[in-house]
Amino acid sequence: MGSSIKALHLLKPATDSFFFSFTKNGISSLPLSIKQRRSYSMKSSVLEPPDVPRLAETARISLIPQQVEEFAPKIRQVIDWFGQLQAVDLQSIEPALRADTEGDNLRDDVPEKFENREALISVVPSFEEPYIKVPKVLNKE
Amino acid sequence: MALTFLRGIQLNPSMLYPSSYFARKHGVLFCCMRSAQTQTATQEKEQPKLKISTQNQSKTVDKILKDYEAVIGIETHVQLSTLTKAFCSCPYNYGSPPNTSVCPVCMGLPGALPVLNSKVIECAVRVGLALNCKLSLSSKFDRKQYFYPDLPKGYQISQFDIPIASGGYLDVDLPVEFGGGHRKFGVTRVHMEEDAGKLLHTDGGSYSQVDLNRAGVPLLEIVSEPDMRTGIEAAEYAAELQRLVRYLGVSNGNMQEGSLRCDVNISVRPIGQLEFGTKVEIKNLNSFSSVSRAIDYEISRQVLLHSQGQVDQIVQETRLWEEGAQKTVTMRKKEGLADYRYFPEPDLPGVTLTEEYVDNIRKSLPEVPEAKRRRYENMGLSMQDVLFLANDMNIAEFFDATIAAGADVKLAANWIMGDIAAYMKNEKVTINEIKLTPQELGELIASIKDGTISGKIGKEILFEVMAKGGTVKGLIKEKDLVQIVDTAEIEKLVDKVIADNPMQLEQYRGGKTKLQGFFAGQVMKESKGKANPKLLNKILLEKLNATS
Repeated sequence: MGSSIKALHLLKPATDSFFFSFTKNGISSLPLSIKQRRSYSMKSSVLEPPDVPRLAETARISLIPQQVEEFAPKIRQVIDWFGQLQAVDLQSIEPALRADTEGDNLRDDVPEKFENREALISVVPSFEEPYIKVPKVLNKE
Repeated sequence: MALTFLRGIQLNPSMLYPSSYFARKHGVLFCCMRSAQTQTATQEKEQPKLKISTQNQSKTVDKILKDYEAVIGIETHVQLSTLTKAFCSCPYNYGSPPNTSVCPVCMGLPGALPVLNSKVIECAVRVGLALNCKLSLSSKFDRKQYFYPDLPKGYQISQFDIPIASGGYLDVDLPVEFGGGHRKFGVTRVHMEEDAGKLLHTDGGSYSQVDLNRAGVPLLEIVSEPDMRTGIEAAEYAAELQRLVRYLGVSNGNMQEGSLRCDVNISVRPIGQLEFGTKVEIKNLNSFSSVSRAIDYEISRQVLLHSQGQVDQIVQETRLWEEGAQKTVTMRKKEGLADYRYFPEPDLPGVTLTEEYVDNIRKSLPEVPEAKRRRYENMGLSMQDVLFLANDMNIAEFFDATIAAGADVKLAANWIMGDIAAYMKNEKVTINEIKLTPQELGELIASIKDGTISGKIGKEILFEVMAKGGTVKGLIKEKDLVQIVDTAEIEKLVDKVIADNPMQLEQYRGGKTKLQGFFAGQVMKESKGKANPKLLNKILLEKLNATS
C-alpha cells in the first residue's frame, strides 16, 4: 500500500521538486531508500524506456518538444517503479486478468429501452438532431 | 468519375487497364467525355493513347494471367440478429431513427459497465460448430484501442489471442455456370466483437455525423485461410457463409444492410513460387458479384505490374472497390501494422463453455447447406437442381415437406424451380408467402401422375392455389376439372369437331395432314382442356383417317 501511494505521487504533475528534480547525474535528489530500490529494479527490469512522442500520439495529446523532454524522465520513473514488480517470482501463479466475479454474469436477450435519452444527448458536446456532430473524418486510421 | 479517371492516367501513365471488360467500360467513358465541353487539350491527347493500349493489352493479359496465381483470404463480419446489443439491453432494429437506441454503456459514458448477452455466445458456438471449428472452452474478451468518432469508448471489445472458435473449414459447391466443382476452404478463426456506430459524411460540409444505434451490436468476425484462388471461389465462399448463417438463424446475412460485410485480402505470385506476394486489402464490397469482380480486377492489375517488372508498385494498402468505375482505388497506404494495444477486458468475466452446453447446441443444429446438397445429390437430382433448392433455406424446407408428403422427387423439383419460382419472381413474394402448401403441391403432382387431371389443368390449378389458396381436390371438384378418360366421351367430342369443320377435313384428307394439330386443339377446347391428350390424339387420328 505504501509503495502504491508513492506511485500516485509520481503520476501527479511535477510540483514536488524533491521528487522530480533531475540532475546530470540522474536521480541524485531522491531519498536514499528509493534510490536503492530503484537500482535494484534496474537489474531485473525488462521494461523498455518510454517513447514519449509515440505515447503522446496514442493518447491523442499534442506535446511540444520541450514538454517531451520534460515528461520523458518522469514517465521513465513511473515505468521503472513498475519494473520493480517484474522482480516478483510469478512462475507458479495463474495470471489474474480481472477481479474475480461469481459465475458468468450473463444477461438474457431481452430488450430494455434506456429511458433517460435526453440526459444522454444533453451531455453530447455537439448534437444536431438527430445526429452527433464531429469534426470531418474521411479515412479510418 | 471521369475526373478521377483522368487523374489516374496523368499520375501514372504506365498504368494500363487490364481486361477487355475494362476496355469496354472505358470506351463508353471516352464517348461521354468527348461530348463534355470541359476537357483540356492534354486530356484530349491522352485519350486515344489509352484506347489503343487497352485493346492490345486484353489479349496479352489473358496470356500473362496463366503464369500467375492469386492468393485470396476473406475476413467476414456477420451482424448477429439478437434482439439486444452485445453488452447492454438496448434493442437493435435496422433503420430506427438515429441515436434512439442508446444508453450509457453503448455511448461509452464513464462508469458504465458491460454485461454480455448470453445469446451472443450461443450464436458464436452455433457458427463455430457449423464451420467444423475447435471451440475454446475458456476464452475471453480483449480491448482493441482505436480512436475514431464511431467508437465512443475509444476501444472496441473484441477477442484477440483466444478466439471462441478456430481451425475449421467450409465446404462450397461452385455454380454450374462457372464450371462447377467442390472446394473446401479453411477457416482460421471465429471471434465475437461489437460493431461501431455509423458515420455519415456530409457533402462538402465541414463536419461528419454519427449515429450510435449500431454501436455495441454483436458481430462475429470469421477469418478464412488464404485458400481461394479466383474471384468466383471467393464470392462463392461468401455466399456459402451467408447461406450458413441464415440456416443457423444467427443473422439475416443481408449485404445491402451491412449485416454481412466482406473484406478481401489478395496477393499474386508467379506459379511455382512458394512465398506470398505483397497483399492488398479490398473494402467496400456490397454484393457477391462485386467481391468476384473486384478480385478479378485486382488480379489483372497486380499481374500486369508483375509482368512489367514493376512489382515494387504493389504496396501493402487498403483499396476501395468503386462500383461505378468497376475498379479498385487506393484508400490508404499502410505504414506498418496499426498498434491496437490489445489487453484483456477487465470489465468482463472470461467466457467459459461447458461440454454439456456445447453438446446441447450441437444437437440443436439444423441440417447445414452442405449436408442438404449432398442429400439432394444422393436423391438423384442434377447439380443445377441441388444448388437451386439448397440455396434458400425456405425453399429447401418447402421441397423437403413436399417430398415428405409423398411427391416424386424430380417432379417436385421441377414444379418448384419452374412455375412456382416464376410466380414468386413475378409477384415478388417468398415461398412462405404463397398460399400453396407443400401438401397441396404433393396432391397436385399425385393427381397428374394418376391421370385425374392433365398437366395443363394442373398448371392452372397451381396458379389458382398459389394466389387464392384452397385445396387441389376441392378445385378439381368445384370446377369439374377431372380429366376425361372415357373413350366414348372423347369420341363424341371428336365427331362434333369433325362435323363442324368440313372444309378443314377435306383439306386434311387431301394431304394437308398438318391440320391434325388444328383438330386436336379444337377437341381440347371443346373438352375445356379436360380430354386426356393421348386418348384424344389416338381417337382423332383414327377418325380422321377412317373413311378416306
